[in-house]
Amino acid sequence: MVDYGSDPAWSDVVPIVQLDGGPNALAQIAYSDEYSEAMSYLRALMAANELSDRVLSLTENIIRINPAHYTVWLYRARVLLDQNRDLRSEIEWLNPIALKYLKNYQIWQHRQTIVDKLDDPTGEQEFIRTMLEKDTKNYHVWSYRHWLVKRFNLFNKGELEETERMLDEDIRNNSAWNHRWFVVFSQDDSVWKDPGIVNRETQFAKSKIQLAPQNESAWNYLRGILRNSGTPGSAIMGFVLQFAPIDEPEKIRSSHALDLLADIFRELGHIEDAERALDLLANIYDPIRENYWTYRKDKLVISVDS
Amino acid sequence: MLTTSVPPPPFSRLPPLPTFPPSISPEPLTPTLAAQKQVAELCLSQHEIAARAEPHRTFPFDRVAHAEFLAGALEKYPWQFQVQDASRPWLVYWAVAGLSALGEELEDVEDWRDGLVATFKPCQNLDGGFGGGYGQLSHLATSYAAVLSLIASEKEECYRMIDTRAMWHYLGRMKQPHGPFTMCAGGEVDVRGAFCALVIISLLGLPLELPQDAPARKSGCDNFLTNLGEWIGKCQTYEGGLGSSPGNEAHGAYTFCGLGSLCIMGTPSKTVKKFLDVDLITKWLSARQYAPEGGMAGRTNKLVDGCYSHWIGGCWPLMDAAMQDESPNSSKRDYWSREGLLRYIFNCCQEDGGGLRDKPGKRADAYHTNYNIAGLSWVQNKYSFSEPKDGEGVASGLAPAHGWDYKPVVDIPGLPDGRVNPHHPVYVIPWTAAAKAQAWFGANRAMAR
Ligand SMILES: [Zn+2]
Repeated sequence: MVDYGSDPAWSDVVPIVQLDGGPNALAQIAYSDEYSEAMSYLRALMAANELSDRVLSLTENIIRINPAHYTVWLYRARVLLDQNRDLRSEIEWLNPIALKYLKNYQIWQHRQTIVDKLDDPTGEQEFIRTMLEKDTKNYHVWSYRHWLVKRFNLFNKGELEETERMLDEDIRNNSAWNHRWFVVFSQDDSVWKDPGIVNRETQFAKSKIQLAPQNESAWNYLRGILRNSGTPGSAIMGFVLQFAPIDEPEKIRSSHALDLLADIFRELGHIEDAERALDLLANIYDPIRENYWTYRKDKLVISVDS
Repeated sequence: MLTTSVPPPPFSRLPPLPTFPPSISPEPLTPTLAAQKQVAELCLSQHEIAARAEPHRTFPFDRVAHAEFLAGALEKYPWQFQVQDASRPWLVYWAVAGLSALGEELEDVEDWRDGLVATFKPCQNLDGGFGGGYGQLSHLATSYAAVLSLIASEKEECYRMIDTRAMWHYLGRMKQPHGPFTMCAGGEVDVRGAFCALVIISLLGLPLELPQDAPARKSGCDNFLTNLGEWIGKCQTYEGGLGSSPGNEAHGAYTFCGLGSLCIMGTPSKTVKKFLDVDLITKWLSARQYAPEGGMAGRTNKLVDGCYSHWIGGCWPLMDAAMQDESPNSSKRDYWSREGLLRYIFNCCQEDGGGLRDKPGKRADAYHTNYNIAGLSWVQNKYSFSEPKDGEGVASGLAPAHGWDYKPVVDIPGLPDGRVNPHHPVYVIPWTAAAKAQAWFGANRAMAR
């Protein structure tokens, strides 16, 4: 703990004390003396627009007390970018903080600012992997990863293999599925005209469905491929029927297969079969969504009428 | 109007967990599935206890205790809460929005309306925006929370403290030429930014034209809405929901922000259909509700959580408006289970002694209390939107708050005891407050360009 008030290095600064709105103000916080003093010095430095080394030590102290303070992070980033500061050591300082405060997101925006300026992604994929081992679906880490892959064109640098490894660990990790989609399909629309890739990904999704037929993530992925590649659902009807043998309803193993089957029947004009599939969903296999399945049924009739 | 004579339907209307016959290849038990099974069992046992104990077959809604909890959230916090120093406007917004919906006047509690100006003055910056506290940089999220709290009061002294002209310039600096908004200078660009900015623009009746000093003007962008609808459309993923920005995973909170933005930008049945695949988002939203829990999850294969009573539940009023002209039936139709969500909120999210929570076993907080209460508003009312007549729009053609209407739903259990004052579906503050603010700011528009 630094005592700013008696430290000669800070004697030129006139701290700006907290203004908290007086006795009427709502949701006030009884700050600790340490935090209160540090913030008073920060306000003074910010008011003077000082971009010095002591800003770095002050913000480091405040972040230790309150890592969710966006202003402190932003001001720190300004100082770091202002002159040629050592951004590598900033990353090394950040790593343990990120691992300690898993749910903190300001840290990821800061990291993005620093790595962007560094113009070098070395070590980032490894660190992301460490983070995701602790928190496999952390939205901010995945968002940062998307940014990193795009910024440094890492699409073919182990990302696909990494999603595969994570799905081997948890086949239902939807963040990993979404990342796979991002890596494979988001670079360029011409990918949809590449039968090699479309087939590879279709097979990938199918093989995962075989392992866990009631996993919505894999079905969403498969349906996304069908829709974007313009593949009619009827092309995979045999596959879908394995999990939703509609003539033997007691053997149905996946509500998502039944849902897709209803769409395939509609596409083929087999309205009664589609209704049968939707009834099974509404009554037996996914009844909390009864209203939705009824809506889908009504839409079948509307589309036939028009 | 509301009738109380309708008997509650039997418990069996909450469907059981779908049980599949043994499959040839058994479903592998991964961390996701193990956690899901545990939460489903926990919630089912809550539902069973509630059905045994009480004729209405949900736990009663402990209105006074929740109001006391939220009133407590406006009191002074000990130093351990200084990690919330940048979120104080949020704490205030969650508490005042929740308290307004509960409509509970508590004895010995001072009216929160009297403390708003004192609270937000130190957060207000000369650049027009609000930060989390004194000396903190302006941020769209804290500006959103501050403006909504001030407007929820329905008091002129609160309206007057907002510097609309400076706010207009501030928002102009956040606009990005490719469409979206940055949350703050040097911060993240995501769909929350668009929603926060549009809520402020429409409630304060700010011009849609960008101020001359807006940096986006240098790239030929002259309006707050330029490229915005298209950018929001790109946030819709292959699953159907929206991610924080293009390429990111579909997520309930970002989906609400994207839909909410489109519902401000114009008549929902036009804007939502223009920029989103409506079938796909409907399907994705529907799949977020689970049995036997009854509640909503924020993403595919994630667990139910009380705050998604709003982030997902609150998408349904917006989707109702987007789809209201589809067929003669549309205005009467529901796409989701109101009863399921009501049961989840009442049976699984109420903490003994007050406050609402994520799920059984978690601690209540102001955030989950407010968004569960908002969920009750979506459960208990059916919303619609009527296109305004010429000249009735705000800020050159945005959808006005008073274009929305609601009707109470009567045939769900647990009512009328658990009924809350309806929120506005876009602004998530009391019904009257949003329209009243728009009218006041419209009449007092004295913006020199
Ligand atoms: Zn939550």
